[in-house]
Amino acid sequence: MSQKIDFLADMIRNFTSGNDFERERELILEELKKINAEQEKLTFKYQRSTKEKNILSSLLTRTTYDLQQVSARLSVRAEELSTLLTTIPAYVFFKDIHLNYLIVNKAFTELVGVPVQEIIGKNATEFFGIHHDPGYYEHEIQVISKGIAFYNIEEHVERNNRKFWVNTNIAPIRNADNEIIGLIGISWDITERKLHEEELRNAKELAEAGTMAKNEFIASVSHEFRTPMNGILGLSEILKNTLLNPEQMDLLKGIITSAENLLVLLNDVLDFSAIEAGKMKLDSQPFMLDRVLEDISLVMKMKAKEKKLSFSIRTPSEVPNALIGDAQRLRQIILNLANNSVKFTEKGVIEIRVSLIEKNTLQAFLKFEVTDTGIGIPVEAMNSLFKVFSRVKQDKLKTISGTGLGLSICRKLTDMMGGEIGVESTFGTGSTFWFTLPFVLSNLSSRKTNEAASSHSERFTGLHVLVAEDNLINLRIVDFQLRKMGFLADLVTNGMEALEKYAAHPYDLIILDIQMPVLDGYQTAKKIREGEKISGGHIPIIALTANAMKGDREQYLEAGMDEYVSKPFTQESLRNAISNLLK
Amino acid sequence: MQVKTIHADSVKGFQQSYASEIQDGFHPNVAMVFASVDLDMQGICSFLAAKDIHVFGCSSCGEFVYNASEHVITEGELVCLLMDLASGTFGIKLFGGHNCNSYELGKTIGDWSSGTFLHHAIFVLASGLDTDGEQLVRGIQHVAGEDIVMFGGLAGDDARFKETFVFSGDKLENNGAIAMAIDLDHYNIHGIATSGWVSIGADKLVTHSEGNVVYTIDNQPALDVYKEYLNVRDEELPEIGIEYPLMIKKRGKQDVLRAVINVDREKRSLIFAGSVPNGSVVSFSSSPGFEVIEGTRLKVDEFYQQNPLTDVLILFSCMARHSALGPTISEEIGDAWRKWNTPLIGFFTYGEIGNNYSAACDFYNQTFTLVALKEKQHVPEN
Repeated sequence: MSQKIDFLADMIRNFTSGNDFERERELILEELKKINAEQEKLTFKYQRSTKEKNILSSLLTRTTYDLQQVSARLSVRAEELSTLLTTIPAYVFFKDIHLNYLIVNKAFTELVGVPVQEIIGKNATEFFGIHHDPGYYEHEIQVISKGIAFYNIEEHVERNNRKFWVNTNIAPIRNADNEIIGLIGISWDITERKLHEEELRNAKELAEAGTMAKNEFIASVSHEFRTPMNGILGLSEILKNTLLNPEQMDLLKGIITSAENLLVLLNDVLDFSAIEAGKMKLDSQPFMLDRVLEDISLVMKMKAKEKKLSFSIRTPSEVPNALIGDAQRLRQIILNLANNSVKFTEKGVIEIRVSLIEKNTLQAFLKFEVTDTGIGIPVEAMNSLFKVFSRVKQDKLKTISGTGLGLSICRKLTDMMGGEIGVESTFGTGSTFWFTLPFVLSNLSSRKTNEAASSHSERFTGLHVLVAEDNLINLRIVDFQLRKMGFLADLVTNGMEALEKYAAHPYDLIILDIQMPVLDGYQTAKKIREGEKISGGHIPIIALTANAMKGDREQYLEAGMDEYVSKPFTQESLRNAISNLLK
Repeated sequence: MQVKTIHADSVKGFQQSYASEIQDGFHPNVAMVFASVDLDMQGICSFLAAKDIHVFGCSSCGEFVYNASEHVITEGELVCLLMDLASGTFGIKLFGGHNCNSYELGKTIGDWSSGTFLHHAIFVLASGLDTDGEQLVRGIQHVAGEDIVMFGGLAGDDARFKETFVFSGDKLENNGAIAMAIDLDHYNIHGIATSGWVSIGADKLVTHSEGNVVYTIDNQPALDVYKEYLNVRDEELPEIGIEYPLMIKKRGKQDVLRAVINVDREKRSLIFAGSVPNGSVVSFSSSPGFEVIEGTRLKVDEFYQQNPLTDVLILFSCMARHSALGPTISEEIGDAWRKWNTPLIGFFTYGEIGNNYSAACDFYNQTFTLVALKEKQHVPEN
C-alpha cells in the first residue's frame, strides 16, 4: 500500500510541476480505481471474516458440545468393552496388518501363560510355533489382503504341553477410509465338544454295527429256514398226489396252509430286514399287467372262495398293459393288501380296481385300489397303520395272525418305486387300501406274452435233465416235479459229480443248487461255460437258490447261469423257468 | 466458427449491442443467454427468434463475461454468447418438467439427444427449485450411457429462491430443462470441475430423507439443525445453506457436496440441489478461505496444459463461490480467461453438471465448472 501511495505522490508532483496534464490525470484516476477495487476486496474480506467468524464460532461451540457427548458415550462403551473382554469365556485378540498382536484379553494371556506386555507386538508363531495349523495362518493373511472374514476355523493347538481344540472366527478391521488396518479374532475352546463328538461317533458306529449284525442274523436265519420249508411244501405236494382218505386230506391241507403262512411271515421278515439294511433293490423289467393280475386272481379267488366271499378285478381298457417296472414287488403289494382284505372280511365282496391317473408318451401313472366290505379301521388307528409292527388293537382281531410288517413293507416299496399309499375306511363298513405307482411304458406286444403263456402248458417228454442238489429231500422233490413234466432226470449231489456226468452224457438242461459240498453251483456253471468255449454250444442252466435276498440275479448270470428259481419253489415256478429256456 | 459476446442491462441495450456486433457481416445462428429474472427474458427470446437465432438460455444468479474489451461480473443484467455454428452440427430443444420427476425428465432428454448424432455431447440447463440435479444426470446417463460428455447447470433467480427459468425460441419454462446436442465429430468439448470446499464439524447422520428432501439429521428437523449449528435466522436459509452445504462422506470414494436450494418451513425440512440418501454420513462444509482461488488456479493451469486451444470458454460457477469470495471472484474468473485469452462467458448457478476430465459426468455444488468448446479443424467424412 505504501508503494502505491509513493507512486501516487510522484504523479501528483508531476502534475503540479505542469507536465502532461491529461495523461497524469488519467493515470491518477486509474490508480485510484485500482486502490478502490482493492479497498472493496479488503472490506469484503473483513466483513466476510466477521460473518464467518460468527458462524464458525457457533459451529465450533456446538461441535465441541457434540464431541463431549460422544466422548462420554465412548468412555462408557470402552468400559463395557473392557468388561466384556475380561469376562468373556473366549480368547480375544486384535492384530495389526503384520499379524502382530495389538490387544489381547485376559483369557488369552492365561492361555499363553505370559504377561500381556510380552505378547503385544509379537507374532503367534512365537507362542504356538508349528503347533498352530499352517492353514490357519493362510486364513489370517487372506483377512488382511482380501478383507474376507472366516468363521468356525477348527484346529488342534498345542501350548505348554497341553493339546486342545479351538474354534476361531477372524474378521478384518477397517478405518474411516475403508482401509484394512488389522484383524480381530475370537477363539473358543471346543475340546470338550470334540470329545463328546468322538464319543457320539463311536456310539453311532457301535449301534450301526449292531443293527448290521442283527440284519445279517435275520437274513441268515431266514435263509436257513427256507430249505426245510421247501421240504415241507414239496413233500406235501407229493403227498397230495397220493391216495389219501378225506380226513388225511384235511390234515394235509392244514399242514400246507400253516407252511404257506409261515412262508409269508418269513418273506416279510426277510423283506423288512433287507429294507432296514438298505439292501432292498428293485428289479425293473418289461412285464404285462394283465398277467400279474391273472396270477393274483388265481390265488385270491381260491382264498376268497374258502371264506365264501366274492372276488373280482376291474381294469378299464385305457389302462396300459405293457409296462416296465418291478412286477414281483407290484404283485407283492397287491397280494398283501388283498390278503389283508380277506383276513378282515367275514362276508361280502373283495374288489381290486386299477385306474389310469395320468399318461404321456413315456410314462403312465396308475392307481390300484383294494376294497372290501370288512370290519373297517377305527379313525384313531389310521395314522399309525403303515408304521412298523403296527396292528389295529381290537378284541376281534386277536384271532388273526400277522407280524404287523406287511403294510409297513408295502409303504416302503411304494416309496422306493416313487408312489404313494393310503387308506380310506369306515369303521364297521369296510376299507379301501390304495396305492399309486409310475411305470415306464413298454413296447412289448401282449400277443407275445400270450404265446409265452401258452408255452406253460407244454410238456417236455423225453428231454434229459441233470440235477445237482446236496439236500436229498429237495432232490427228491425236484425229481418228482421234473418227471411229472415228462423229463428224464439224472440226479447227483455235488458239482464235481455233475461235471463228470455232463462229460459222459449229452443233456438238454442242467439244474444246479448253489450251496453244495466239493464244488458249488457257481464254480460248476463257470467250468461248464469254460468248456463250451472250446467245444462250442450252450446248455441251458438253472440255478436253485435258497438265497432270497434280491440283487443276486447279476451274480448268477455272471457265473454263466441262464435262469434261477428261489426256494421254496412250486412246480409252477420251476415250470416257468424251464419254459423260458426251452421254448 | 466465430464467436462474439454481448453484455447488456436491458432488452433495448441488448438490441443495440447486437446491431453493432453484426455490422461486420457476422451471422450468428446460436445464442447462449444467461439473464437476471428482473429482465424481460421473453423480449430477448422474441428478438432473437425473429432473427432465426436458436436460443439456449436460463435465468441466473449473477452473470459474467470476459473478453479483450471488457471484464464484467454483474447481477441483474444479462450476458450473451453469439456463435455461427455449421448447420446440422447442433440441435436445441426445450423440455417441460411439470408432469415428471427429474429422472424421467433426464431420460426424455437422453432419448432425444441420442437420436441426433452418432457421437453426441450435451449442454443442459434446468429450472425448477425442486429439481434434483443428480437424478436429472442419472436419467440422461440411463439412456445416453454413463460416459456421455455433458455440461451445464441449474438456473438461478438472483438468490431469491422463488422461480427460475429456462428458455428457447419464444417460450419460457419455470420447471423443465433446455438441452443442446452437439456433434462430437465437429467439435471438441473438454472440461473440469473443481470445488475446494472442506469438511467442518463432526460427522452427522441423515436419519430421514427422500430423494433430495432431508427431513431429519441426527433425528432433529433438518432446518433446525442448520439454524442451531450455524446460528442463523430462519430467513437466512436457504441462501446460507448454499454457502455451507452438506458434505456426503462416501467411504473410499470422492465425497459429494449438496447445497440447500429450498426450505419447507412447515415440515422443517430442507430441499437440496441433489439427492441425499437416507442413512448418509454427512458434515457441514465451507470454503477454507480465499486460498480456494489458488486451488482453482492450479487446476486451471493443469487443464490449460492439456487443452491450450479453444474457441470459447463457458463457465458454470456456483453462486456460493460468489457469496464466499465476493469481489475476489474476479481473480478466479480473470485468471482462467487470461490463460487462453479467448472469450469467456457464464453465470452463477444453483448447481453444476459436468465431466471432470474423462470421469463420468456428475452433478455438483460449489464448483467452478469450466468448459472449452472448439470446432475441429478437419471434419471426418463419416
